[in-house]
Amino acid sequence: MDKTSRVPNVDDLGRAATDAGRRRLLQALGLPPVAAAVAGTAAPVQAAVSTQARIVIAGSGLGGIAVANRLSRMLSGAKIIIVDRKEVHNYQPGYTLVATGVWPVDKVSDRNADFQPAGVEWVKDMVAEFDPAANTVVTAGGQRIAYDFLVVATGTHQDWGRIEGMDLKAIGTHGLASVYPSPEAAVATWAAMDAFRQKGGKAIMTLPATPLKCAGAPLKMTFMLRDRLKQAGTLDKSSVTFCSALGSVFGVKSVNDNVLARWKDLGIAVENNLALKAIDIGAQRATFTSPEGMTTDMPYEFIHVVPPMRAPDAVKNSDLAWKEGPMAAGGWLEVDKVTLQHRRYKNVFGIGDINGTPRGKTAATVKKSAPIVAQHVVDAIAGRAPSQQFDGYTSCPLIVREGSAMLIEFDYEGRLTPSLPMIEPLQESYFAWLMKIRMLKPAYLAVLKGRV
Amino acid sequence: MYEIWLMLNIVYEIVLPLWPGLLALLVVWLALLAKARGPALGRQGGPALVLGAAAAALLFVGLPSLTQSSLGNLGYWVDWAFVAAVAVAGGAAVGLLLWPLLALLRGGRAT
Repeated sequence: MDKTSRVPNVDDLGRAATDAGRRRLLQALGLPPVAAAVAGTAAPVQAAVSTQARIVIAGSGLGGIAVANRLSRMLSGAKIIIVDRKEVHNYQPGYTLVATGVWPVDKVSDRNADFQPAGVEWVKDMVAEFDPAANTVVTAGGQRIAYDFLVVATGTHQDWGRIEGMDLKAIGTHGLASVYPSPEAAVATWAAMDAFRQKGGKAIMTLPATPLKCAGAPLKMTFMLRDRLKQAGTLDKSSVTFCSALGSVFGVKSVNDNVLARWKDLGIAVENNLALKAIDIGAQRATFTSPEGMTTDMPYEFIHVVPPMRAPDAVKNSDLAWKEGPMAAGGWLEVDKVTLQHRRYKNVFGIGDINGTPRGKTAATVKKSAPIVAQHVVDAIAGRAPSQQFDGYTSCPLIVREGSAMLIEFDYEGRLTPSLPMIEPLQESYFAWLMKIRMLKPAYLAVLKGRV
Repeated sequence: MYEIWLMLNIVYEIVLPLWPGLLALLVVWLALLAKARGPALGRQGGPALVLGAAAAALLFVGLPSLTQSSLGNLGYWVDWAFVAAVAVAGGAAVGLLLWPLLALLRGGRAT
């Protein structure tokens, strides 16, 4: 296996450890304003709030670690505990780049330990049970951890069991692809796409009806598959059909309409209200159901499968989950969409994909909401009401072909909210492409370290 | 203001793995500058400018393909402005780097 396709393990990630060392050395060398500006001290500085509060953060993805880094600077004397078993931190926004042959896989994995602030206790286990009435979490290993304040950052659960016949280990074979499960799956997906484009054939791209993390990923995969077929000269022998379990392909109408118009021009067909129910991997046949219960069988040479998603069992089965409304079925965290504070347990906050909010399961959502959640934890410690408001900001750098993308940003209401007003969100550009492949991971790291 | 702070952080994260090399380059450049100090340095300003302009032109044409894209994908004024800005900055850096080197290699020779 060559360097570009091997998924790094924790031992391979020692280079990431040098990052923190370099930063310390940079500061020690006294290179202002660079060291001061970039190491966080140039961010708006407030006196740390003194407290003995015990704060548990469940999950150490982007949201959990970003909030931990912020709280460790904003609070003095607090006991911060991160509960998560994973040792490797994956840059999930990079999966689509790996899965379409743009990036080598080693660009998406780092060591989790390198991003956690000093002084934080790391419990290397998963939360198996939330008991908010007792202000306690219970780990899979049976450890009970009490808290004064809780930040839920567990992310999503990919519900592969709802697709009969699906086997994650088969991704990469028989034209089976999915960008979602892991870096390994992204590598295997590129292998399947690369093999498919050599011959061409019938490709099916799926979209489930549940809330999704990175809801733009299925669209990016579709655009890039079509582009790879064109590059390989097999487009005229191929067809690409996008099967959506909804009546649309994207939740923001202006973006949905724009993508559909582009796909019409590119010859990509769209079938609405078809949910993937089952797959026969060996026979390369997919079975879809309509809302009326009608089943449709489709043969394929390539299929990109997107799993239905829900909250992890620990949240779904707890009193923290929505009990009614559109987010109840998935067991998503019942937070107020503006404050991200739990609606019934006021010492509980949510960050990232687990939140049962109308939109926003992306890294960009965390970028905007992590400072708000951290501030609201501090507000709660100080006995104040939440002082800030989250507008639901999220972003999707939507790749339209190799070398070009659209930088789409929007809020809860589906209004386009470009950070750079001179850039038209629905205008494809090289600049947006360059942001996606070169600038967004550095931005992600800055969010992770709690600096932006 | 936030966007400027974000951009500073992005630049920092990009430079972080490169800074030992960049620091070494800066030290070498300062040493060369000190050694080349004198009338020759002034006379080589023009040639350094020409080389910097040539580098900027090359960067302008080559940047998209260096980033898995192509000139054909530059269809928006923001793309052209961005590539031009990067090319000018890169050309200026090349010109500055070569300036003391030219003075040392060519001495007082005119172009």
